[in-house]
This record gives sequence, structure tokens and C-alpha cells, in this order.
Amino acid sequence: MSFTRDLHSYARARLTTFSVLIVMAVLALSAIGIAGAYEGPMQAAAQGAVPAQEGSGPEANLPFLFAVYIITWAAFFAYVFYVSRRQRELRNEIRDLKRALEERDSRDS
Amino acid sequence: MAQSATAPISATGPVRRFTGDALLVGSGLLMALTLYLVYMWVPTEQNLGVSQRIFYFHVPLGWIGMVSIMVVAVASILHLFTGKQKWDDLAYTTAEIGIIFASLILVTGAIWGKPVWGVWWTWDAKLTTTLVLWFIYVGYLMVRAYGPAGTQGKRFASVIALIGAIDAPIIYKATDWWRSAHPERNVPSDLDEQMLLTLLVSVLAFTVLYVYLLMERYSLRRSESDLDELHQRFA
Repeated sequence: MSFTRDLHSYARARLTTFSVLIVMAVLALSAIGIAGAYEGPMQAAAQGAVPAQEGSGPEANLPFLFAVYIITWAAFFAYVFYVSRRQRELRNEIRDLKRALEERDSRDS
Repeated sequence: MAQSATAPISATGPVRRFTGDALLVGSGLLMALTLYLVYMWVPTEQNLGVSQRIFYFHVPLGWIGMVSIMVVAVASILHLFTGKQKWDDLAYTTAEIGIIFASLILVTGAIWGKPVWGVWWTWDAKLTTTLVLWFIYVGYLMVRAYGPAGTQGKRFASVIALIGAIDAPIIYKATDWWRSAHPERNVPSDLDEQMLLTLLVSVLAFTVLYVYLLMERYSLRRSESDLDELHQRFA
């Protein structure tokens, strides 16, 4: 039973850490937004005006586009890696337990 | 326990493995096609410029984030009515994947907001209700992790999932109900044909990826349940 408890504690710790990091990221983004550019563009966008562009050329916002793709893919790859690693660990544990159960059953009979 | 020690437990059959592999390959191909369409094929939007291409990631993420909470709610209700563990496993699994999509909605939206609106974040109705959805996901998972053990904890979490299901249509209708800087609905009705096709391919690609992740995580969740069962038998 201790293994299951350890497993759950581990998963909870990871989940909590992940959640805290996300909250901090959102709060940081909010703080930057409030401190950096509080007025102007939002009102213009809300009134249907042409949005403000940073830089002059059409490629000026490419870093934002790449940032979105990189963050999205990094998140998915990290999650798939996490799931596959946990699955491998659990399958090994189940296999060992089944073997132990078989040994116990054969000993009892 | 009726099951013998040697019986297969949550066996990963060939059909399940083939389906998983097919979804993974299909998702990869569709993602490659999406990238081609987004970077090479679709025209650049006149007003927003290159940053508008974030749209082809942001909207599918939003769509799946909202669908996920509905799945969590439906699975939770089914678990409450039937008592079957598989529905609870599905609800938990979907919530875990849903929070990833919900987080990505917020992050990609903030990154898009900066060049378009000039701010990373604003307390706009659409953005705020989406943030509420994110907190609902966190609340659900926190209750599952730290709430009462057994059936009671699952019931509490189910209530949170139902609140999330109520929040999803509010997010969708937020731009209709409140004055908002966010574009109307999610997809403008006058969207260019090429843009619409790119968006549909992207939605399909992310949906296939979502189903793949759901299958893999559900399988893992079942393995965890099997492990608990084995420990009980072993005790």
C-alpha cells in the first residue's frame, strides 16, 4: 500500500507544482500587461480601429507567432513524455506484483 | 476477488495499440499539414498581420478546452448514476488533459493580445470567463487530490465539473452578452475560404491529438486503478 501512497503523493506534488507555475505565469503576464501598456490600444481595438502594430513590417510580430508554437508544442511533448514514463513505471510495478501474487498462490496451494 | 492472480489486467490489446498508433501518426500528419497551411498557404490577414496566424492554434485549443469540461461533467454524472469506476477514470483523465488545453488558451491568448491589443492581459469578459474555466479545472483536480477520499471526494469534484459545464457556454456567448475587445464568437462568419479551411484542418489535427492523449492517459489511469486493486489483493 505504501507504494500507492507514495505514487499519489508524487503525482499530487507534481500537479501542485504545475498549477502554481501556471498561476504565477498568468499573474506575471497580467502584471506586465498592467504595468507596461495600460491605456490606448485596448480602447482602440474595442472601438474597431486598426490594431496597433509593433514594428513596421508584416514580419514584426513573428516572434509572438513562434512563441505560441514553441510553448504549445513544448507543453504537449512534456505531457506525452510524462504520461509514457508513468505508464512504463506502472506496468513494471503491476508485472512485479502479479508475479508476487502468483508465487503466493502457488505456495498456498 | 473473482479474478485470478494470473488474469490479464487492463491488457493493452492489439486493437487498442493499433488505434493509439494510428491516432498518433494521424495527428502528426495533420499537424504537419496544419503547419504547411499556416506558414505557406493561408494569406496574411490585412489588419492583424502575421500575428493573426496564432488564431489557427488559439481557436482549436479553446474549442477543445471547452469540450473537455463538458466531457468531465457528463462522465461525472454517469459515474454518480452508475457507480462505475471507468466513468470516474474518464472524468479525471479528461480534466487533467483539459487543464493543459485551458492553460494553453490563456497563454496563447496573452501572447496574441500583446501585439494586437498592446497588453498581455485585460479583464475582458471572454478572457475572464476563460480564466474562471481554468480555475474550475484546477479546483476539480485539487479536490480529487486533497479532498475526502472515496465517493464523497468524487461527488464534490462532480459538482465542480457541473459548474464548469455551465461556464463553457458563457465563454462562448461572452462577446454577445458583454462589450468585449475579443473578436465576436470564435470564428467570424465572413472568414476567407482559405482561412476557414486552414482552421478546420487545425481543429481536426488538435482533436485527433486530444483523443490520442485521452486514450493514453485513460490507459494510465486504469493501470493506476489496477495497481490499487492488486495491492488490495496482495494485502
